[in-house]
Amino acid sequence: MVLFTALVLEFLLLRVLPYYILGIDPSFFFMNPNLTNEQRALIRKTFGLDEPLPYQFVKYVLSLFTGNLGYSFYTRRPVASELMERLPNTLILLGTSTILVILIGIGVGLLIAMKRGGKVDTTIVTTGVFLNSFPAFFLGLLFLLVFGYYFRLFPMAGTVSRPPPQDFFSYIVDYLWHMTLPLLTQLMIGIGGFALFIRSLFITQLGEDYIVTARAKGVSEEKIMMRHVLRNILPPIITVVALELPGIVSGAVITETIFSWYGVGRWLFEASMQFDYPVVQAVLFISIVLTVTSLYIADIVIALVDPRVRLK
Amino acid sequence: MKSDKYSTFTSALKWATSHKKGSLGLLILILFLLIAIFADFIAPHKPDELGLADGLAVPIWLKSLPEYRNLPENVVIMASSNNWNIKSSEGLQLQRSNQWLICNISTNENYLRKVIFLEYPFNYSYSPPRIFEGKLPFTVSVYEAPGSYARLQLYIETPSGRNYEIFDSGSIAYNKSMIDPPARFDARDVSLKLMLGFAPDEDVGEKIFAEEGTYHLRLVLTFVVVNGSTLKVAIGPLYFRILGLAYGLLGTDNLGADLFSNLIYGTRVSLLVGVMASVISVSIGLVVGLVSGYKGGIVDQILMFFTDTLLFMPVIPLLVAVSVFIGKNLYLTISLIALLSWMGFARNCRSYVMSLRDRLFVESAKALGASDIYIIFRHILPQLTPIVYITLVMNVPGAILLEASLSFLNLGDPSIPSWGRMLYNAYYSGAFFRMVWWWIIPPGLMIALLAMSFVLIGQTLDEVFNPKLRARR
Repeated sequence: MVLFTALVLEFLLLRVLPYYILGIDPSFFFMNPNLTNEQRALIRKTFGLDEPLPYQFVKYVLSLFTGNLGYSFYTRRPVASELMERLPNTLILLGTSTILVILIGIGVGLLIAMKRGGKVDTTIVTTGVFLNSFPAFFLGLLFLLVFGYYFRLFPMAGTVSRPPPQDFFSYIVDYLWHMTLPLLTQLMIGIGGFALFIRSLFITQLGEDYIVTARAKGVSEEKIMMRHVLRNILPPIITVVALELPGIVSGAVITETIFSWYGVGRWLFEASMQFDYPVVQAVLFISIVLTVTSLYIADIVIALVDPRVRLK
Repeated sequence: MKSDKYSTFTSALKWATSHKKGSLGLLILILFLLIAIFADFIAPHKPDELGLADGLAVPIWLKSLPEYRNLPENVVIMASSNNWNIKSSEGLQLQRSNQWLICNISTNENYLRKVIFLEYPFNYSYSPPRIFEGKLPFTVSVYEAPGSYARLQLYIETPSGRNYEIFDSGSIAYNKSMIDPPARFDARDVSLKLMLGFAPDEDVGEKIFAEEGTYHLRLVLTFVVVNGSTLKVAIGPLYFRILGLAYGLLGTDNLGADLFSNLIYGTRVSLLVGVMASVISVSIGLVVGLVSGYKGGIVDQILMFFTDTLLFMPVIPLLVAVSVFIGKNLYLTISLIALLSWMGFARNCRSYVMSLRDRLFVESAKALGASDIYIIFRHILPQLTPIVYITLVMNVPGAILLEASLSFLNLGDPSIPSWGRMLYNAYYSGAFFRMVWWWIIPPGLMIALLAMSFVLIGQTLDEVFNPKLRARR
């Protein structure tokens, strides 16, 4: 149900609004102006654009059920197969970065929560706040400039070298080499905010009575942190992580664009620029689907972790 | 109650200012506010003025470094009638009137040819520039007889005595007015380059102004008058300019616009987007949260359903797509950012209101016959002030960063200067690979500082209102 409403909203924003406000029809952008009217009509018919919008919407939703995401206006290939080419790259880049952000974030958050008020805490919090307010694209560009251009340690663009290395092992190395800078950018942006979030969760918990009791019992600080506090702050962490997960697919549009990463985020940006509606709609749809599912999974996981929550 | 609300806020402010983090944030924010308000006075130029100096000029203060020491600044010459030295006029009388040089020639002879040399010396003591340009207004009037003509030629003489002809009007044998627009010449003009014997890709300015010393601008006027006719030539002030390679506090961009002015004016957009988007999103969130938390039941379910739906929308991809499909407009961007960022607050608000709804004071107010509106405004809203303030501040940095990212992808409003747009221009005109750091670092730093000031204030407010966060310092 939520999914359906999200789809309606997406359709409204992308198709209906531009059409009724500006009179923009998707076919307007990709058709050669030299075509005759008959040719135009034919092209519009092949993409089903000659039908009224509500009918198009119904058709679109119905075809989604069969896994048909439509055909790209530009390459005339099925969107699904193009998506499959790019999805692995994005999954690898953002999956790694998300996992690393979570692990390092929890680690750092734990560390500074334990040393709260000290010098380490202040330094990390200040850095975190600063990094968190740094625009992602700016950081990416700086990395590209410093490590890619001046020191020539890392490649400027792309996912693998051209031509790609033949044997498997050097291919992996080459891939990782290309991935370093985008990964670093994603990490830098992500960790600051996440560590601060973890820290504030910890500190909020530290004022609770059960901590005082544990301290009074003489439980060591590490044990309090790991056994008592971490367990209690897991549910909000899981929720936040679940909200991050769909980003793995829709990708880091900006990071991927800057580093010319052959992934879904950059694809979305380029498709938008070319008014390639089926592609844009497909990427948004998949990302919405993933958000919904990952939140459902998060709810279940929370119920498993937290005995206070019961599954109905 | 109302006064109480304000006193909590002012006391929070007091606490914030007594706090290091908060006061730092506040200080930065006030600085940015002042910059935004007085942008017209701080910035030396309007952001859309182009060609103020050569493209990619370095900041003027960099000239204190040895490697930039000799870079040319703008050299502007206005040679009006009073400045020209008349070298030889062959007995002709030249009238000076209001910066214009006017000469009237009429003759009874069969054929009269006069050549007038005018000269304007100026000093040039920098390394070679790339470009010069200029304009020369003049009019030529020929009365009655065919065969008379006038010709204007402008030369530059280098210290070593070489002459370059940079403008030639050709023989003008008819009435011609070149005042509005005046005759122009430009070192980028390919026909000028070819006329001077250079290749189309060579910089003429660099070749002509290769030496330091005294240059002369020479205006050569040739008049040919035949019997019975009158020739009247008026020459306006010559405007000649060598475009500097060092200009302003932060240099210029590739089109010669002043980067410092752009940076100053960019503050307005970022602040506007941040604050407006935050206010709108908090208002939506507050209304939705209040209604659905207080009313409960079916209203709650419907509202939360929409909230969840929006929560599932991927923000950046959707913003990118919509900005492309509908158009690049600042207010559209603001409303979209606001529309996609109120959900978290609405949920917070709702759970808070739900916990307040069942409290005793609400129940007693109900028992006294208070209306829902009265209870919401009088009893519930004041309790929400802290989270409203915190969210109001905490939502700003996200909006600022989003706007900057969109502008960087060239999806911002093209008519409004913004920091993201500056970075977009820098990126796509190759500033990154020419180490033009004075173009790249300032906007990025400004975005980060502005966003950080809000984060710092927000965190301080958070600590003020949630004493738990201060626990065991």
